[in-house]
This record gives sequence, structure tokens and C-alpha cells, in this order.
Amino acid sequence: MAKRITIDPITRIEGHLRIDVEVDNNAVSNAWASCTMWRGIEKILRGRDPRDAWLFTQRFCGVCTTVHAMASVRSVEDALKLEIPLNAQYIRNLILIAHALHDHIVHFYQLSALDWVDVLQIPKADPAATSKLAESLSPWTRNSRNELKAAQDRVNAVASSGQLGIFANGYWGHPAMRLSPEVNLLAFSHYVQALEYQRKALQVVGLLGSKTPHIQNLTVGGVANAIDLDSPSALGMSQLETIRTLLEEVVQFVQQVYFVDVCAVAAMYPEWFKIGSGVRNYLAVPDLPLDSRGSSYDLPGGYIRGGDIAGAKAFQTASDPVFRQGVTEDVMHAYYQGEKPLHPWQGETEPAFTGWDGEQKYSWVKAPRFNGEPMQVGPLAQVLVGYAQGHPLTKKYAGLAIEKVAAIGGIRVTPDMLHSTLGRHAARAIRACMLAELAQKHLQLLTDNIAKGDYTVYNQPVLPTHEVEGVGTHEAPRGTLSHWIVIKDQKIKNYQAVVPSTWNASPRDKAGAHGPYEASLLHTPLARPEEPLEVLRTVHSFDPCMACACHAFDPSGRKIGVAKIL
Amino acid sequence: MKTALIGGIGNVLLGDDGVGPYILTLLESQYTFGDNIKLVDLGTPALDLTHQIVGLDAVILVDSVASDDPAGTIVLYRKEDIVRQVPAERLDPHSPALSECLLTAEMLGASPRNMLLVGIVGETYEPGSPLSTPVRESVANAIAAILAELERLGFGYQKRAIPNEPLIWWGETSATPTRPAI
Repeated sequence: MAKRITIDPITRIEGHLRIDVEVDNNAVSNAWASCTMWRGIEKILRGRDPRDAWLFTQRFCGVCTTVHAMASVRSVEDALKLEIPLNAQYIRNLILIAHALHDHIVHFYQLSALDWVDVLQIPKADPAATSKLAESLSPWTRNSRNELKAAQDRVNAVASSGQLGIFANGYWGHPAMRLSPEVNLLAFSHYVQALEYQRKALQVVGLLGSKTPHIQNLTVGGVANAIDLDSPSALGMSQLETIRTLLEEVVQFVQQVYFVDVCAVAAMYPEWFKIGSGVRNYLAVPDLPLDSRGSSYDLPGGYIRGGDIAGAKAFQTASDPVFRQGVTEDVMHAYYQGEKPLHPWQGETEPAFTGWDGEQKYSWVKAPRFNGEPMQVGPLAQVLVGYAQGHPLTKKYAGLAIEKVAAIGGIRVTPDMLHSTLGRHAARAIRACMLAELAQKHLQLLTDNIAKGDYTVYNQPVLPTHEVEGVGTHEAPRGTLSHWIVIKDQKIKNYQAVVPSTWNASPRDKAGAHGPYEASLLHTPLARPEEPLEVLRTVHSFDPCMACACHAFDPSGRKIGVAKIL
Repeated sequence: MKTALIGGIGNVLLGDDGVGPYILTLLESQYTFGDNIKLVDLGTPALDLTHQIVGLDAVILVDSVASDDPAGTIVLYRKEDIVRQVPAERLDPHSPALSECLLTAEMLGASPRNMLLVGIVGETYEPGSPLSTPVRESVANAIAAILAELERLGFGYQKRAIPNEPLIWWGETSATPTRPAI
């Protein structure tokens, strides 16, 4: 008899994700992803000046502030067919890259590493042996015996206090945990170091964006940074040098630590290359524009259907007509009014809450579809689309990952194995390495362009009185983000955000097709259904961010989440 | 020199949840503070809050809270009250809450020496709604609690002779709510 497990952590006011799985013979037989709260923030934008929209959209989500700001200004610029000066493109690109590097590091270490790393094994590790192991994996200079001993002491101190503190909520000692004490210690030591490097990446965002967590330097038509080579307060040689130094440190951490740790986890849990596949349609948009019109990009975009990597189709621009025309949102199983799928420019957000019913409506997340099909978005989509197009940077780091996993675990990873839980982690680490390299490239492009005497940062937008439509996209850390705007009489007539976690956390659609989270959980084996660590591993591999996905809130939401057996 | 952070937490687009950033903006417009006191509109920072609080002598946060007390009630929480909460399952990056950030800072040995959360019990969290009347009426008391904490810890501040216009860009001034009907 199948039993139902609900994982329903009630988080802060931002909203949260609920996963229901049915378990039959210790494997998942059915799954539902839902968001339990509602907030129709987009409606606040109607009637406002389109040039102010980014200030509001930046507040959609407390974690992904900059990405919503950026997609918003791009949507208005797309509607106005406005070109963006080179300096502004580079400055924006650097902010987006620094934010993404921060986000990918947080995701792996703070949000998902403890699915694979057993903290309670750490006291048993030998720091000297751990240091020796680390030396064989990476040239990173902070893997010394002393540094590792200090990390072990931190765990011992927390454990001996009788309370687990920060580690109170983990599946420690779970049979699906399999790393040696030394590997656990090494990964944990990097968990602590990761906090430092995230902070350095955020400092870059702050220096260019003037403030964090909410950047202030954007404007429709460009950026508001003052460029002055000699002034220490404006963007000049001194600030560029500070940014260069910070980025160098973050780049080293990403390439010598994060990337290596992901390859090591992959090599030691190879069965997870066979679990967690699900939806094999992938979608990514081009990003990091290299010219003022946005006709060439450093990150490729496109789509793949049914896992056919060789048959991938490319998007030429960030608002490619195939993408613009292909997106709809279905509300058959979402708590909204409406019958047929709507294009975002015609999108509605009228709530119709009916309570959780897995056969009917069960989520506040709409079901976005591309050409009528569910799509998986995120670093895996981007890496597969890039790989299929022969994108050199993607091929370089994918190749390095394959070599590293083979060197550590003797496992030959083929592209087909990337349709998996580990594939998503590996792709994120590959993407982080690509971004790390691109951070340095775009800083150089900016420095060189300023050195040429080009100080332009802004083109004046002119709002027409007739109705215009635009889409602003960004290939965000969690995947394709698109803001859709309709402008009439110089005011916002309609605004819809189709965010990465909406694609991935999508409920079933009219045709009954599962969304990516749901599909990825089917057939997952569970060692102990009452401790569904395996479900968390796969859900975490998507890097869920439900606040923006469902635009929801719960005024009573400060309780502690539990995995409930129903 | 001792260092402090005054942080406003909450989402300005969600009614009373915006009271933290709202109060922060009022503080900036009505008072001046030394360079050793940082004022930050934190939004809803999740785990990134750790970076804002590590190594400081004092952290004062102001946020809307859920409680059985009537709306507008001010509830003060100290460090030990906050760490007593067990961290929730981390399903997404919003889950790490205040307690988790504080516990992370503790693990790093860089927990702020003093922490005060000035909580204001909210009433409405509707998107786009202005602050509710009880919450608006409690704003002055919340500011007084923040200033009292600064004084208790020996941090200086000064009232501006002529206050600046507070920059409530999300559509509401301290005097007249001007949020458009939606």
C-alpha cells in the first residue's frame, strides 16, 4: 500500500515549497510540487512608470534581487528597442556574474552539501590524512592540516555543547550517506571557507551596484555609474583594481574548490547519475551581451526536446522570436481563474484558491510551457544547449569535469548521464567555472573600453504613447528568467514575471504532464521513507527558490518544518 | 571602535512586512549616526544576513513578526531567544532565517556580542497595501526602542534639526499614504 510523505517546511514570510510524494516498495511512485502561498506582486506594477518597475521587481525576491532588476530594465529596453552603451553592458554583466558566482557557491555548500556530507562523521577524521587527500585533488592553498583541524574543532565545539546548533536539522547517520570521515571533513572545511568567498562576490556587486542587497545603479537605457579614471569614489582605476583582486580570489575558490568538490561528490555517489532525470526538455536564453544591440553573447541559449542533445536548436538573441512566441502559462492545476493557457503579455493573476487536491488544483505556481511542453531550466539546460552548439567555453569545462570525475572515481561520465541529480550539480559547477573566466574577461573589456576614452553609460529612453510590448530575459543562476511588459500611454498596462523556479516547480498542465521537480522524483529509491533524504537531494539539485516562483506569503509562517507521514 | 548595524528587514511590497525598511528610512531622515553604525535596508536577505552581522558589537534589527498579540504590539527578542529556534529544513534559500544566520556566526566564532530584534506584530500582508493603522501607530515606539538600545550600549546619535524627506519610493510617505488603488 502506497504511503504519502509530505515535506512542508514553513519558512519565513517569503513563501515556500511543498513536496508530496507517494512511496510504494521504498520508491517514489507519484509526486506533486506545490507552493503553498500566494502573492500577486505583479499587479502592483500596473499603472506605474515603466522606468520605475525595476525598483519594485527587485523586491520580488530577497535572494535574487539583482536578477529581477536586470530582467525588468531589459523588458522596457526591448519594448523601446533601445540600445545600451558598451560600458553599461559590461557593468551589468559583471554584476550578474558576481551575483551568480555568489549564488552557485551558496547553493552547493550552504543549501545542498549537507545532503551528501555527514557532519557527525567529522570528529572521526584524521586532519593530516585529510590534508594529504586534498593535496591529491587540488592545488588550493587552504587545505593545510591546521586549517582542517580548525574546521574539525568547530564541529567538535558545536557537538560537545549538547546542541547541534546550525546542524540540528540534518539526516545524520542516514544509510544513504557514504563519504569517509576525511572527505566529510574536507567538504565541511570548504563549507566554512565558502562563506568568505560568497562575501567577496557580494562586495563586487556592491562596488558596481553601489549597494547590496538592493543595487541602485540601474536605469532604463544603461547604468548610473559615474566613470572617472582618477576619482576614488567614482568607477575608475582604483575601484577596477579592487574588483579585479576580489574576483581573482572568488575565481580561485570556484575553480580549485567548488568545482573539485562537486566532481569528488559525483565520483563517490555515481548511482546519482542514474537518478533524478525527469523532464528532458531544456530551455536557456543567451546572456552576457557583447555589443550594444545585443546581437552576440558570451553564454549561448536555445532548447532541447526529449533529451535529443544533437538536435538542439539555438536562440540567436535574448528575445528570440521563437522564445517570444513560444511561452504560455497554464493554470489547470494552479489556484488561478482561467481555462486556457495564456501568453504572458495577456497573462492574468486572479486567485481562485480551492485547497490542496492532487487531482485538481494544488499549487500557487502556474505551469509555464514552451511550445506547449514543460521545460527544465537552470545550469544543466544551459550547459547542454552550449555543449550541443560546440560552445568552446562549455566544452572546455565539461571536458575538465569528465576528466576529474574519472581521475577520482574511475567513472566515465557521458553526456547522457547528465540527465540526473548529479548532472544538475555538475552542470552548475561547470557553469560557475565558465562564469569565473568570463568575469575576468568582462572586467578587462570594461577597463579597455574606458581606457579608450568611452565614458558613456546611458542612452535616454523615450516612451511612446502607442502600445508596445517587450520581454526582458536573463539566464539567472536558477535558469531562464523572463519579464514581460505591455506599455500603453507611458504606463505599465500589464506585467508578468515567468521565473526559473516556476518552470521547474511547475505543477501538471492541462495534458497531465508533470513539471520538472515532479518528474525527477518518480522512481527514486528511498532507504528510509520516514527520512526522505533522497527526495531532498533531487529537489535541492534544482536549487529551488520558491519565493519568486509562487509570489507567495504566509503571515503566520514562522514554524518549524517537518517531514510528515500521511 | 565599537561597531553596530541597524537593519530593516521585510518586503516593502507586502503591506506590514515592509515596516522594517520603512522605519529604517525614517531613522535615516530624522537622525545622524557615527561612521561606526551602519544602517541597511536588508529586504529579505535569508542566509546573506550572516555577512551583515558577523564580527559586530551590536546588531539591532527591526522586522514585522507573527504573534498572537494584537497588531502593532512591539515584541523584543534577544540573541538567546532567537538561537533557541531550531533551524528549519533547508528546502530553498529562503529557509535560512535569523536563527540560522546567528548560529552560523556563532559557529564561525564571530557572533555579534549584542543582538536585539525589535518585532512589530503585523496585521495585513496584502501585496501593495499600505501599513495598517496599528502598525503605523507603533512606528514611533519602535524607533524609541532602537534608540534606547543604542544608548544602553553607548552608541551616539543626533536628531537632525531639520529632518530630510524620507525616501519611501515604494509609494508612501510618512504623512500621507499615496499608494494607488489596484
